[in-house]
Amino acid sequence: MSDLQDAWVAERQGDWNELAALMGQYRSWHRLPPATIARAGSLYRSVSADLMHARSAGYTPELVAFLDGLAGRAHAGLYSAPPYRLGAIVDLLAREFPRTVRRHWRFVAIAAVLFAGPGLVGFVGSIRSQGFATQILPESTAAQMRESYSHDPSEGRTGNDNAFMAGFYVNNNIGIAFRCFATGILFGLGSMFFLVYNGLMIGAVAGFVQSAGYGRNLMTFIVGHGAFELTAIVISGAAGMVMGYALVETDGLTRFGSLRRRARDLAQLIMGVAVMLAIAACLEGFWSPSHVPRPVKLTVAALLWISVMAYLALAGRSGRDRSP
Amino acid sequence: MVGADDDPLDNTADVETPERIRFRYQVAGPVRRGLAYGLDMALRLIALFMAAALTTGVGDMRASQGLWLILLFVLDWGYGVLFESLWSGQTPGKRALGLRVVKDGGYPVGFIDALLRNLLRAADFLPLGYVLGLLSMASDRTAKRIGDRVAGTMVVIETAGGIEAPIALTPAATMSELAAFPHRPPVTAAELEALELFLRRPRLSPARAEELAQLVAPVFAARMGMRVREPVRFLALLHARAVGVRGRVTGSVAP
Repeated sequence: MSDLQDAWVAERQGDWNELAALMGQYRSWHRLPPATIARAGSLYRSVSADLMHARSAGYTPELVAFLDGLAGRAHAGLYSAPPYRLGAIVDLLAREFPRTVRRHWRFVAIAAVLFAGPGLVGFVGSIRSQGFATQILPESTAAQMRESYSHDPSEGRTGNDNAFMAGFYVNNNIGIAFRCFATGILFGLGSMFFLVYNGLMIGAVAGFVQSAGYGRNLMTFIVGHGAFELTAIVISGAAGMVMGYALVETDGLTRFGSLRRRARDLAQLIMGVAVMLAIAACLEGFWSPSHVPRPVKLTVAALLWISVMAYLALAGRSGRDRSP
Repeated sequence: MVGADDDPLDNTADVETPERIRFRYQVAGPVRRGLAYGLDMALRLIALFMAAALTTGVGDMRASQGLWLILLFVLDWGYGVLFESLWSGQTPGKRALGLRVVKDGGYPVGFIDALLRNLLRAADFLPLGYVLGLLSMASDRTAKRIGDRVAGTMVVIETAGGIEAPIALTPAATMSELAAFPHRPPVTAAELEALELFLRRPRLSPARAEELAQLVAPVFAARMGMRVREPVRFLALLHARAVGVRGRVTGSVAP
């Protein structure tokens, strides 16, 4: 005895098995020979029709779920976007990242002001009054800072200390930049907070160390990697503000639809930031505390600042513009 | 597109392709996703402990601590990004619980989607313990946390489904048994569907099947003025007769 569903299943099952076998066999469909792709396409269409039939004829949920899954996977396989190539990283760094930064230059400028302004306040305030610095900085941090910069930071550092600090900076600084970016979803407020807070802290530390009389040591230490680190923090904040602003200025789309239109830009900005901070961590771990004489360090720092700024301002100006 | 207002209140999302084909996905809720997250967290911790145990006493401690911190960073921020973009939307935890991240249109997630949805975890976590993420999930049909909204993704439960064995009566129905039923049994299409589901139901113990059939069979029997001896067999025969006569079940048929 058989009924309609069973008879129909028996008739159609061959196609389903063939499609399932094709999908199990290959991971990336775009590398298949054309004939196989054509076959897979035609099988996918017939399975889709089967799915519609099974649903409208009221066949069992188990069978409908099976066809749903089969057709869904085939659809995903046939229509998937090309995978993100490793070569895209080169493209990102050589062109797309600086281009995207320039496209959103207004936000970068606002972020720079939000970071540097409180930094200046913190710096001047700490120089003028000891109380200001101790209000902002925890006691232990202040003591530690005074201790670290009372001598040249390169004294007594070993290569292994450097490796540890590089790891610490990767974990800590890139993590801060990512948080600074992500909290931009709160209409940009989180990013603004991180920018102001970090600016104020860095400024206060610098002012505090300066007033303790060790400003030269600190300056020599941070000016080199700062080219990458401070710039990257500003860009991560700018990316967060781009995200927050997309929620406000929607151009008639839904809020999150407007946000998704910016998804590519956001990803490019944050990936560029991560690379810049990784470079900064290596510099901060190995170059900044090295025994190289001060004038050399300052010269290199000047070159680093000029090249970072030139890179952001000029890279990717010529050539084909692939971004929409 | 996903979710119209008059959709039934179950956790499914319909995705319509440009060819007007609709797929139905079962959306994963916070509990199942939380379990997958916990599993991934455990795996990450194990990896960190193992790395710490293996490098202790090897080489210089400071240097290995530095490497360990880099590993911590990669696992913290890169774990989801790498697995979801390489395993087409799955991490080990998600795979264990049968979950998968897909784009709203049902496409596989790409690298950029995976990157954004995982970086935005930092926002979902706020103010603590993923409170914002849970609120966001509660206010969306497809249970999107903030990261999912930004990346345009959703987390679905993969149901394999299957092809059931054909309905079989043992012993096979005899002609006289079938002839006892009216030529057109008074059964609506919906009732026939329910009968079919009942007869195909896997993992229904015989005793429970008997119990259910005893409730239902007399209703049909009364309609036809028949007596019920074996309720399960009665329903199976009724189904066979109804299907055999009507051929195809379309629309509703008045009893």
